[in-house]
Amino acid sequence: MLTALNNDLKPFEDLITKFSREELKPHVEVHDRYPFGNLDAGIIESGFHKIYDLGFLGIMLPEKYAGIGQGISTLCMMLGHVAEVDASYSLIIFTSALSQEIILNAQVGGIAEKIYPKAKDAKEYLVAFPSFTDPGQSKILPEALSSGKGYTLTGKLDYLVLGSFSKWAVIPARTPSSKGYSFFLVNLNDKGVTKSDPVFSLGLHACPIIDISLNGVSARIIGEEGEGERYFGAASKIMHAAAAAINAGIMRGSLKEAIEYTKEREQGGRPVVNWSEVRMLLADMAIKSKAADLCVTQTCRAIDENLEDWGRISIAAALHVHDLACEVVTDGVQLLGGNGYMKDYGQEKRYRDARQVQALLGLVPLRKLALIKEIIE
Amino acid sequence: MLKRSKVKSYIAKFPRFENESLSLYYAPRMPKAMIRETEEAVALARKFNDEVARPLSLELDRKTHENPDYLPVELVKKANEWGFYTMWIPKLFGGKGFNLPSISYFLEEVGSVCVGIANVIGVHYLGMAACMMLSNTRIIKKVMSDVVEGEKTGEPCLISYCITEPAAGTDVEEVDLEAKGRLGCSARKVAGGYVLNGSKIFISNGHFSTWNVVYAYADLKKGVDTKVALMVKRGMKGFSLGTHENKMGQRVCPASVLNFEDCFVPDELVAMDPDIIKSFTKKTPRDVNMQHIDYVFSISRAGVGAFGIGAARGAFEAALKYANETEIDGKPMVTYEWVQCRLAEMYANVRLGRLAYTEANLANQHRGAYNLLQMKPIYYYLRYLPASYFKKVIAPLLDKPIATWILSKWYIDWQKPKDQQLTTGLASMAKFSCTDLGVRNCQMALELMGKAGLRQDSGAEKIIRDAKLLQIYEGTNQLNRINLFKSIVAPACPKATFFEE
Repeated sequence: MLTALNNDLKPFEDLITKFSREELKPHVEVHDRYPFGNLDAGIIESGFHKIYDLGFLGIMLPEKYAGIGQGISTLCMMLGHVAEVDASYSLIIFTSALSQEIILNAQVGGIAEKIYPKAKDAKEYLVAFPSFTDPGQSKILPEALSSGKGYTLTGKLDYLVLGSFSKWAVIPARTPSSKGYSFFLVNLNDKGVTKSDPVFSLGLHACPIIDISLNGVSARIIGEEGEGERYFGAASKIMHAAAAAINAGIMRGSLKEAIEYTKEREQGGRPVVNWSEVRMLLADMAIKSKAADLCVTQTCRAIDENLEDWGRISIAAALHVHDLACEVVTDGVQLLGGNGYMKDYGQEKRYRDARQVQALLGLVPLRKLALIKEIIE
Repeated sequence: MLKRSKVKSYIAKFPRFENESLSLYYAPRMPKAMIRETEEAVALARKFNDEVARPLSLELDRKTHENPDYLPVELVKKANEWGFYTMWIPKLFGGKGFNLPSISYFLEEVGSVCVGIANVIGVHYLGMAACMMLSNTRIIKKVMSDVVEGEKTGEPCLISYCITEPAAGTDVEEVDLEAKGRLGCSARKVAGGYVLNGSKIFISNGHFSTWNVVYAYADLKKGVDTKVALMVKRGMKGFSLGTHENKMGQRVCPASVLNFEDCFVPDELVAMDPDIIKSFTKKTPRDVNMQHIDYVFSISRAGVGAFGIGAARGAFEAALKYANETEIDGKPMVTYEWVQCRLAEMYANVRLGRLAYTEANLANQHRGAYNLLQMKPIYYYLRYLPASYFKKVIAPLLDKPIATWILSKWYIDWQKPKDQQLTTGLASMAKFSCTDLGVRNCQMALELMGKAGLRQDSGAEKIIRDAKLLQIYEGTNQLNRINLFKSIVAPACPKATFFEE
């Protein structure tokens, strides 16, 4: 994200870089061990509360809902800076923004008002969402039955981000009367909700993900029945840019650590950075990282200026940035040799995290096909 | 159309056709029994996968995350019970004498389930190769006897190869770099042996091994010309194990720190030093040093290539299973052309990689380290004579200095530089190609599987963690590219120099 092109971002940038440097950086390695070891969930969660206190969980949420009413540029800038240090926390901010977008896209009164202005803490403000799922691609979703006053949900939902932390979740489910799926607001503290232990995943360890079972859980529908795909489509269109911003941040972190290390480490009696093949690898990383920054910046501009095909630009940019990121983090490990593979350094975590970020919002090949379908038709 | 003499003349020109097409020339020369033996090795690997590796792989990975200090000793004991640590030790030295190329196929099979478990078995043979290529028959016999004994008693006796130092990784794998590197492990000559000081890091299986082949330097400022190869046994005074690394993957195979503090190694465990080199060759210690590195890595890099293809296969099989079990828009995923094309490409990556490590093996069989064992008369002699014959008749001869002299002459003094270049070049090619293909297939699998591939219990995410190390150890893939260029391409580039830019 090229923040120099947008002076309005400066105050937020200072705030987020200070937070990342002071609050996240010292704990990256320890937080990455979650859910293993002696690490208490409370330690991880204290970070969520700090993010909430600083207002990072409602960046794009209008002020009337207790958000700070900024646009996609601010969100992407923040996600990138956080990801440069620890992308797990970017996923938390991302998930918060995604569930808000679903709720706002449904344009139904009462839900946002019920949650955000009344939230006493991060647990109540941060709404869980299956951020790695495009519900339209899922064969199995919970079933929702109308019970006169509202709905009850029954069934299983896997890979719910922040399900173990948040009070509320936006859950996709199918109703008997509609072809498409719908979204529902669920209180995760309901006794009909059974939660798994955190799922041991490739990356982004400090942001817990769980599987849940729902057994006759009361739920409130978000928007209209059967319209989930429309709300998700609108929300994901903008959130693709946000996912790209996370991976662009990871790439910057990877390049920075690779340059620092290769300047320090010697091979054949001189700094590794002075060997030409090493410079070539660094150059490839730099080119990809700079191109990713440019992609994210220009995508945000296209969204801000409401270009006709900003949605396509957003998906295309994200798919491209994710591809670049997976290459960059692989070389990022390589340039540190054996040390790059060890948890004492940051590169192996980025190698895992970038691939986890790539999987946000559904299967990569299906996103590609969805993009070309939109362009052709 | 052409006279035979003309044909010979054309195919001998650079690039020499025989060198470019080893399988055409060498596959027909392979003793037929080797194929049956290889089939048995693969079958054993598949049985082991069903009964041991598959049930343990994810569980052990999880355990090592829960407790990074955890060492899966039970896995090593299982591999020992299955006889895997003596399977490729030549019968001459008391082992089961399976042909050495067959280990690649075996490791690919086990690696397709768990690269870490494959490494816990395979890296023992890196230690064996390092010990054997030093050509001291008395030491080889002593160490291999301990391994065989360890199998009988149920107390595994493994061998590690210890070269990487805290400030020298790639440097110790190439003499031109070693000459300028920051070496730290010293071997001071004293009466009756050497005194070893310093540390080795990233030693695979270090915490499991009994014997260690350790490189050290009599003069740290002239390390490349004063290298000493010492056999250090666990329990020797002054030798201690440090921590083992907290790695991203291959977590069942510890990468250990070995510390040496005034560790006295007696002459009888000195496998190579400049004086020993002088006793059988006029080559310089630096040349012999490089030759030994090339021999060891020509063997081990083919093995790492097999690990890489194991990972590529594991990823392919995970993606195939997912595609078979998943529907998109109500149709089985495997009915879509884009899915079929990706699965076909992943499968092709596996087959292409296997061809690459097979070429490297053929070079080792006919132009490198395996040439003696793979000559048909010797192969069948070793295969069909009973173990008791070797124990009673051959074993006593191995203690004689003449046996060491013959082996040293054969492997070190008489080896042709062109053969050495071919074997090391093709091993490097297999190493970087196969491991790049491994990581590539892992990436493709994750993209195909989405969130399902991210879960540790799916198995796919572990493979991409495991596979990355393959691009780093046994020489980074960059060093291996340079080695391929230097060994095979450079004759076409008279102006090329190496490690001097």
